[in-house]
Amino acid sequence: MVWALSSIGRVFIEFLASTGRLTLFLANSLVQGLQPPYYFRQMLRQFWEIGYLSLPVVGLTAFFTGMVLALQSYTGFSRFNAEGAIASVVALSMTRELGPVLAGLMISGRIGGAMAAEIGTMRVTEQLDALITLSTNPQKYLIAPRLLAGVTMLPLLVLIADVIGIFGGYIVSVYRLGFNPAIYTKQTFDFIQMGDVTSGLIKAAFFGFIITSMGCYHGFNSKGGAQGVGRATTYAVVSSSILILVANYFLTALLF
Amino acid sequence: MTKKMTSKFVLQNIYKRFGDKSVLEGVDLNVFTGESLVIIGGSGTGKSVLLKCLLGLIPVDRGSIEMDGQEITQETLLQHEERLQDIGVMFQGSALFDSLKVWENVAFRLINAQHMDRKRAKEIALQKLAAVGLTEKVGELSPAEISGGMQRRVALARAIATQPHVLFFDEPTSGLDPIFSSVINELIRNCVKELGATAITITHDMSSARRIGDRIAMLYGGKIIWCGKADDIDTCDNSYVQQFIHGQAKGPIQLETDARHVA
Repeated sequence: MVWALSSIGRVFIEFLASTGRLTLFLANSLVQGLQPPYYFRQMLRQFWEIGYLSLPVVGLTAFFTGMVLALQSYTGFSRFNAEGAIASVVALSMTRELGPVLAGLMISGRIGGAMAAEIGTMRVTEQLDALITLSTNPQKYLIAPRLLAGVTMLPLLVLIADVIGIFGGYIVSVYRLGFNPAIYTKQTFDFIQMGDVTSGLIKAAFFGFIITSMGCYHGFNSKGGAQGVGRATTYAVVSSSILILVANYFLTALLF
Repeated sequence: MTKKMTSKFVLQNIYKRFGDKSVLEGVDLNVFTGESLVIIGGSGTGKSVLLKCLLGLIPVDRGSIEMDGQEITQETLLQHEERLQDIGVMFQGSALFDSLKVWENVAFRLINAQHMDRKRAKEIALQKLAAVGLTEKVGELSPAEISGGMQRRVALARAIATQPHVLFFDEPTSGLDPIFSSVINELIRNCVKELGATAITITHDMSSARRIGDRIAMLYGGKIIWCGKADDIDTCDNSYVQQFIHGQAKGPIQLETDARHVA
């Protein structure tokens, strides 16, 4: 009994300590990032890596999700003669939920893991120490630009994912299910409101912060050579994916 | 005429442990301005840890380190950043930034810390690359495209790019063949001489130590067990030093049998 309680206590204390370390790391990175000098080349590189290079994977995910959504909605709604609601269901699902969550999970795998691996390799090959000895703060040079790029690029990617997903639903509805293109388009825009889109974009900004902060934190604190870098990559992807799903519920409840 | 020797670094009673593994157990050392000191010692004796303590990358547990008479173990982040501006470091594995070209690595501090115009910084970087025997063409390559020996030269060029007054070399010739090692030793010797810098090198390569060092100190058991002129090392009567420099398996030095290894 005592052993069980002490184990629970140890895990709880370790959880609090980890949360504290993460909070300090992020606070320090944000404070450093707000102070000049600003590393614009690093920022542009991250905008390119996170934003532009993620477009294919996010676009494909959104396109096929929109198509599947239209097909599945038709299967259910046709039983109640409610096929007319498919356009709005696809649009609302994509903008409010599937766009940000699926893009977040895909980017978590693509970017969060790569960030942890890159920064982790820099840690074990003494490149982070080299940065310090070259009078450059690693948190200002490496972490702050990534956090900024994550928070700004994810909403843009989700906006594009929304459009592509709705277009995927349109393709299936019009060319496979025989909907009238003009009516389908009208139904899409009649029901969708600005709040549906902005709630998804707000979620995306949070998810961008989660993905980049997990990738940077685990990479920055990796140790023990190649195995340590591999572990950091796994932690980054798993923790950001779980946090995205948890945060998604709380943000949905908040923005409901 | 005798030259007055002033101290650049004074280390007193330095202790450092990681978990239950004690690495430094009361290191005392004096490094004079303008000299080239080499710290030798076996693998896992804490040479790199000592160097990182001097650089302020690892905090010491106990003891005092003075640089130019100023205590550095309690310095603020700003003081640390200012102090490092006059220090160049060549890391063991070169630690070049993969995402940058070779010349950008050399010019890194000029561009990012001194905010120099990229064109001017590139000119200086190419001059430094030429000083270590590398061409302009190499400057345009990425670190992954050049050999290990060339990476060491680039790391040396990066360390001297801003003409610092203090240079640290962490195992500068480890993993290199004897000819490349000799070239690197010669370059280090020349660079230190030209800059008039204080240099601290850690190595377990005795030919490097003899070539680079004015003085040699030996670290063993967490302490400096011998320190003297490089020319005197072969004739000193310290049995630990003699065992180490002659690479004898038998002697007072106990081989590390603990599985944990300290860099």
